[in-house]
Amino acid sequence: MIPLSWVVATSAILFGLGLYGALSLRNAVRILMCIELMLNSVNLNLVAFSRYLHPDQPRGLVLAIFIMTVAAAEAAVGLAIFLTIARNRTDIDVDKIQLLKG
Amino acid sequence: MNAVQIIYALLAVVTLACAYGVVVAPKLMHSALWLGATFVGMAALYVLLDADFLAAAQILIYVGAITTMILFGIMLSDIRDLRAPGEGPWWRRFARLVLSPRRGLLPLLAALGFAVVLWGIAWQAPWPASAPPATSDVTSSIGRVLFTEYALPFELASVLLLVALVGAVVLAMREGVDNR
Amino acid sequence: MAQLGWLVPLLPALSALVLAFWGKRLARQGDWLGTGAIAASWLLSLGILADVMVNGSTSALRFEWARFAAAPGQAIQSLGLGLQVDALAAVMLVVVTSVSLAVHVFSMGYMEGDARYKRYYTMLSFFTFSMLGLVLADNLLLLFIFWELVGLASYALIGHYYERPEARYASMKAFLTTRVGDVAMFVGILLLFRELGTFRFAEIVEAIEHGAVAPHVLTLAAVLLFGGAVGKSAQLPLHVWLPDAMAGPTPVSALIHAATMVAAGVYLVARAYGIFAPSADAMQVVAWIGGLTAIFAATIALVREDIKQVLAYSTVSQLGYMMMGLGLGAYTAGFFHLTTHAFFKALLFLASGSVIHAMHHVQDMHRMGGLLRKMPVTGLTWLIGAAALAGIPPFAGFWSKDEILLAAYHSSTPALYWIGTVAAVLTAFYVTRATWLVFFGQPRDRHLYEHAHESPAVMTGPLVALAVPAALIGFWNSPLSGFAFGHLIFFHEVHEAEPSMTVTALAIGGALLGVLAALAIYAWRIVPAATVIRLAGPLYTLLKRKYFVDELYHWVFVRGTMALARLCAWLDQVVVDGVVNGVARFTQGLAEGSHLVDQQVIDGAVNLTASGTVAAGNQLRRAQVGYVQAYALTLFASVVVGLIIFTIGG
Repeated sequence: MIPLSWVVATSAILFGLGLYGALSLRNAVRILMCIELMLNSVNLNLVAFSRYLHPDQPRGLVLAIFIMTVAAAEAAVGLAIFLTIARNRTDIDVDKIQLLKG
Repeated sequence: MNAVQIIYALLAVVTLACAYGVVVAPKLMHSALWLGATFVGMAALYVLLDADFLAAAQILIYVGAITTMILFGIMLSDIRDLRAPGEGPWWRRFARLVLSPRRGLLPLLAALGFAVVLWGIAWQAPWPASAPPATSDVTSSIGRVLFTEYALPFELASVLLLVALVGAVVLAMREGVDNR
Repeated sequence: MAQLGWLVPLLPALSALVLAFWGKRLARQGDWLGTGAIAASWLLSLGILADVMVNGSTSALRFEWARFAAAPGQAIQSLGLGLQVDALAAVMLVVVTSVSLAVHVFSMGYMEGDARYKRYYTMLSFFTFSMLGLVLADNLLLLFIFWELVGLASYALIGHYYERPEARYASMKAFLTTRVGDVAMFVGILLLFRELGTFRFAEIVEAIEHGAVAPHVLTLAAVLLFGGAVGKSAQLPLHVWLPDAMAGPTPVSALIHAATMVAAGVYLVARAYGIFAPSADAMQVVAWIGGLTAIFAATIALVREDIKQVLAYSTVSQLGYMMMGLGLGAYTAGFFHLTTHAFFKALLFLASGSVIHAMHHVQDMHRMGGLLRKMPVTGLTWLIGAAALAGIPPFAGFWSKDEILLAAYHSSTPALYWIGTVAAVLTAFYVTRATWLVFFGQPRDRHLYEHAHESPAVMTGPLVALAVPAALIGFWNSPLSGFAFGHLIFFHEVHEAEPSMTVTALAIGGALLGVLAALAIYAWRIVPAATVIRLAGPLYTLLKRKYFVDELYHWVFVRGTMALARLCAWLDQVVVDGVVNGVARFTQGLAEGSHLVDQQVIDGAVNLTASGTVAAGNQLRRAQVGYVQAYALTLFASVVVGLIIFTIGG
């Protein structure tokens, strides 16, 4: 009933928002959150395609599950990193984290 | 437009609005909360797409674990909230964000471009307008597949989680060890 | 006997070789060896002549020296050494060996005490060998080789007193002047070879008789060959070397420059008569050059003060007679005159040598006088020679000269007859003048006169020996002997000229006229010499300065060559060196340019690469902002672009 194009459009916009945030925001945690948004949009895509193109196979869904898993792990590690940085510096402004500059 | 489509449209818009909130919320806490709301919206969309298990997993993992983790992380650490796009109505905040030099236009273009291209593809592709009839039990098939075909990725995922766990602890603990 | 012809030149050759290497160790430095060898050759020559005259035998020896591969269609060419003895050669052998023997003996007295006595005799032997080889050669190439050897010997002997600059210059002048003729001669030889493919006289003459050579080519070849004769026999215009050659020892002048070497040119014409005779033009050239030379030289001899100079110009003049005779077709007469002249001129030269020796090497006739009383033998033999030269019968010169004048009289160019006759008058005049100045009258230099005495027997002996043929040899071709010489030496057929009373009368009359005129001026002082000189004025100067020929040659050839040399030097210095320097400078410029290129371009390129890399690195480093979001932006921008391309392309 729901046209696949709608769902893909939704996920596209979601991804776009996440991307925009990831690229422009200064707070590292916010960036992390936007990455989570992107991952979610991907999940949405997977679910939709799995439902519409291969409704009898759970493949898309399985992948979505794995993505969730990895996203969780990644969020945890990322947060740990940012917190560590926050301890050593006063803030986590990515503009200022430029040790790799050069 | 039938009922399902209307519902979907509503849910989608809400989710997107929450996602937008993540980006533009001035306070970090708010941003995290918006994120949680987005996750809930996503779960709802999954339900509409007959992915029940996934919806449940979404709520459990994303809303329950990740959002909580982020919130706790924000609250329990000294993460200074950096200047978000400032005060003002949502459109002003967005405008400020967008028009700010360097951080505004280019990323916007990238994001827009990406979205537009995807949308373009989506509109053009001859995908089925309606979903084929659903199979009987998706969840059980997921379960079955996870332990047969995708057993290895499953195990690897658990290893990954272990590693992430250990890594996070190590990262967080280091300071602790030194401080001691 | 004629078969032994090859022995005749061999003996002097061996003697020259021995003298050259071991002469110093021999007693008297080996003069007896040289003289002995010549004496043996002389006897052999007499025997050969007798054989030829009596038996008419000839001899031809041939030795193949080199063979050439032939051009296609031609027979294989070969170069050979060939000696031939015929009547012409036999007579010449006797002439050469006789005079050479006389000179050898005479030199034992004249050259006594000379610093280079051995060298002198070595060269005399060498010369005799060369001359005899020339006589016997049966082909043009071999003759030319001996021709050059004779020239070499002449050069060496003229320059015997090489401490004196005039001797050095004279020998060079002789060699170079004859060289001019030799070049022409060689071209002529090659021309004939090209036409006929052979050098041998016999073959050439036969081929010419069969018309194998085009007339103008034949004339050209003959004239070119004659060029060599002009040089060697001191004809106009290559006569200039002979008077200067008097710087050599007097016996050398007697042998080489009176009797033999200068006669080689005449001998060549006689030998190659088969080449000359068919070409009327060539014969004319020969006759006219001979005639003009005869009178030209005779005029110069009138005013010379040096006794040897008088004899030298006389030789030139007499050679001109011989050439004239040959050119007019008087083969027998021309060659006969060569034979008689050899004897009486050698006699005159040796006699003058005797006088010079007595006068302590003073040669100026104006310092002599009245020597007959002091040197009777010399004087008498001189008189015989002088009479022969003047053409007073019955002495030798009369017979031979008369024959030539006869031929001129009967020829198609009677002008030559008058030229010859006038020259005969002049000849008589100058020889009488010389005779009077030297032997008669009052001695002009008392001191020299006091010390003068007759020469030793070794010197007077040859004089007497030569006086005999000078007096008598004329009869060989006289009516008394039935023109025996003419029956011996002839071309194609015996030619008995009709005697002409007119000619004979004029000849004798002319001679007497010359004698009397000279006596009138010098002996009886009817007209003093000084008056004649004053009256002659510019003519006298002209004669005295030998028609300024030497000056002309100096201005044209010597200075011309020097100017050419200076031009070449200039070319070399400015042009060639300029080119070389230019090349050097160019190379230098190239090197500097190269250096510049190396520094600026190559090093620049290298430096540019380095700095370019650094600059690129610096620029590229700007991408390493250390700013994660920039990286992410770049990433996603690329993805977008890729997607667009993918969708549009696909």
